[in-house]
Amino acid sequence: MAFVVSEYDCRHREREASGRVSQHQTRPLAGEAGSGEAQRQPADLEARFETEALPLLPILYASAYRMTRNAADAEDLVQETFLRAYRGFHQFEPGTNLKAWLYRILTNTFINSYRKKQREPQTISDDEVEDWYLYSKMAERGAEPSAETSVIESLPDEDVQAALNGLPDQFRIAVMLADVDGFSYKEIAEITEVPIGTVMSRLHRGRKALEKALWDKVKERGLVRD
Amino acid sequence: MSEISCEDVLHEIEHLVDGELDADQAAHLEHHISACGSCFGHADFRRKLKEIVRIKCQGTDDTPEHLLMAVRERLHAEGMGQHPPGPQPQA
Repeated sequence: MAFVVSEYDCRHREREASGRVSQHQTRPLAGEAGSGEAQRQPADLEARFETEALPLLPILYASAYRMTRNAADAEDLVQETFLRAYRGFHQFEPGTNLKAWLYRILTNTFINSYRKKQREPQTISDDEVEDWYLYSKMAERGAEPSAETSVIESLPDEDVQAALNGLPDQFRIAVMLADVDGFSYKEIAEITEVPIGTVMSRLHRGRKALEKALWDKVKERGLVRD
Repeated sequence: MSEISCEDVLHEIEHLVDGELDADQAAHLEHHISACGSCFGHADFRRKLKEIVRIKCQGTDDTPEHLLMAVRERLHAEGMGQHPPGPQPQA
């Protein structure tokens, strides 16, 4: 079996330092080449897995639910994530960010297992969406835009979720990790295995597209006249 | 400290709201924002919008009760917890 997760960090640093942008994600993850053979870990590792990794199950499930949008797939995704994490746990460096490490496995498993049909590069057509799109739309209504976020607040949760879920995965996942899970740019770079510059670009473009989608929802609901 | 233009501030607000600026940069921006109605409005809007997305997209925090058990079963099948209990007697 190939376990190469721990090499990631230094390679990632090299990639960042050299400024090269490499986005192919062919490197196997922990447990990915699973042969079904039992991979029992030493007792001390098991104890650490028990006390450090398993307690993160609820937050991983909540994120898996947001990614897959249904309970059955979220449960499968979490099970698969913990199985891979267990198999690769001997390669996790103690003292580094375990939560980000588990999220990397979760995100990769999601993209590879649940998104096989979407392998083609994903993009969003945001050329016509200017910065501060939603702010400008609010300002055009003559109101104080920061007070007008109440219009967005009055949207049902499902509408905001649908707007976010309408984004292509790489943008959707970046925005989710930043705004819902509260990860830093550096952590998102680690989780999604891209340079920080790419994270910032995905967040900026994803948020613009989200603002456009939110504005469309507000109009659909008749909360404003365009 | 040098003056910063509204245009520059508007560019950085996203990073400020994301908590990604160092303390000096953040203080510099906040100093401008507190004295500039337009930039204040933009920053306030960006903060509120981020918070709305967080709250509305949080979804469930109800982890299914059987999930931890199911995960443990998968791990057990993988060999977890199958070490002999207690320290091994020395020969």
